[in-house]
Amino acid sequence: MAKKEQSFKSYIFRQKAVPYVFLSPNMLIFGLFIITPAIMGVYFSFTNFRGLGDQPQWIGMQNYVNLFTDPDLFGAILNTIYLVAVTLPIVFFFSLLLAIILVQPLRGRPIIRATYYWPVMISFLVVGLIWRWILRDSMGYFNGLLDTLGIGRIETLLNPRFAWWSVVFVFTWSRAGYYMVMFMAALLSIPSQLYEAAEIDGANRWQRFLHVTYPSLRPARLMIFILAGMEIFKIYPLVESFTRGGPNYATEFAVRYIYETAFSYRQIGLASAMSVVMIAIVMIFTLGNLALAKRRGAI
Amino acid sequence: MKKKRASFLTHIFAIFWVLFFLLPVLYVVFSAFKSRSELFQHIPTFFPRDWTLDNFKRLIDNPYFMTYEWIRNSFIVAIASTVVAVVINTMSGYALAKFRFKGDTIILIVILSTIMLPLEVIMVPIARIIRTLGLYNTLWALIIPPAATPAGIFLMRQFLLTIPDDLIESARIDGASEWRIFRSIIVPNAKPAIATIAIFSFMWRWNDYVWPLIAIRSPSRYTLQLGISTLSGEYTTDWAALLAISTISMIPMLVVFLIFQRNFVQGVAETGMKG
Repeated sequence: MAKKEQSFKSYIFRQKAVPYVFLSPNMLIFGLFIITPAIMGVYFSFTNFRGLGDQPQWIGMQNYVNLFTDPDLFGAILNTIYLVAVTLPIVFFFSLLLAIILVQPLRGRPIIRATYYWPVMISFLVVGLIWRWILRDSMGYFNGLLDTLGIGRIETLLNPRFAWWSVVFVFTWSRAGYYMVMFMAALLSIPSQLYEAAEIDGANRWQRFLHVTYPSLRPARLMIFILAGMEIFKIYPLVESFTRGGPNYATEFAVRYIYETAFSYRQIGLASAMSVVMIAIVMIFTLGNLALAKRRGAI
Repeated sequence: MKKKRASFLTHIFAIFWVLFFLLPVLYVVFSAFKSRSELFQHIPTFFPRDWTLDNFKRLIDNPYFMTYEWIRNSFIVAIASTVVAVVINTMSGYALAKFRFKGDTIILIVILSTIMLPLEVIMVPIARIIRTLGLYNTLWALIIPPAATPAGIFLMRQFLLTIPDDLIESARIDGASEWRIFRSIIVPNAKPAIATIAIFSFMWRWNDYVWPLIAIRSPSRYTLQLGISTLSGEYTTDWAALLAISTISMIPMLVVFLIFQRNFVQGVAETGMKG
């Protein structure tokens, strides 16, 4: 009897352990490669750690002071925020436009959808190369085209402003297909009765979009806004192969700057402080959007 | 009822964007088949005048480009990491979908919030950890850590919620072990979600740049992406080789895309699959 009870107890114990066992490989990896580095990063940010063989020394807020007083350091963060502010609405509305095109009864729709989506499958590194090859100064296809059309060649990626806007453009080119698919799913789930009712009420195309389509997309819009925003905040391989942060730091964004600071200049403490600030910005962006949506009753 | 077709103008508009997305890629692929003089002529043409394989030969002849090793490493990493990802994400998804246990909500929140800690931003301490664990300059560093993806777990959880509990309960009453239930009930039923995780994981790992960058030092262990990045130096860029190797790097993605196009589109639509 006692034995049976014991084996029952051990059975219960084992049953309780089951989910933890199933979760353990993932949790181990998250713990080792996400949570621990995040904590280490916070610690490093208060030290003057310079990497291999160096003893980190506690220097308090010095890195953060440098971060906010050095125009170069803070410039990279500000530049990233500008990039998000400009690129996000463009990607957002462009992918919505593509999704709207694709829900029309088009001939050959699957092929069209596939070509819109295809750039998503190409790595950011190669996307950057593709566009550098085209926009490359003086000899690129773009300048050849301008020449043929009689417009005359222009300074492309050597011009800071042109390079910066090219990053906006290339990011949009490479990722619009992805968010388009998310918009499509949302568009297709809008009940057609809503449109019929609006039509009966005499709403024209634009009014139907404004009063039926756009409001119905609310949950999808929120998700796309957050995902795309986070993706632009951490832009890196694309600029690495496209502009390498140049010319004259015009396309130097936070992640590339963190990488350079840590691995080329061995200022791991300072780089970590930048990481902490970037994580804080991403969190404020994400949670802020969620909170705003909640207040408006969207989720 | 006959379905109305979209107008001619809508079609033109749609085709305009087809060209917008397709032509840049085609131009690069065509350029890979151009001769040196054609690559750098004053006004470039879209198509090569004389098709040549010189740029591809260059990748093989020049010992500096370990093209074969890079391709092999990319395949090893993408396939191995995908296998690991499928196994561990299915296990976690199962635990979160079908068990009530202490801390389940917290674990779910932790998993979702790791999405806000992008690898790119914390790569400096990650590089330290990789060294501490002795994974530096091994392909393991590219296989194991990236396999745990919050999106994969979440997708699997959502999918497994739809499997009836009775199925699992009756197996349990029949005395099946938990691992057996997982293998013979959960895995076969989770096939669509497994397929989605597998093809996304393959794409992510194939296209990965940041993990190899912080974890690999020896050129013989580079992946294709890392090899490509070393070819485009700060001041000189070996365009002939770059165009050829970039073209090669897109081929597996094209094949995967042509076969699994539907899964990609559904995967994004349902969950916003995100590395």
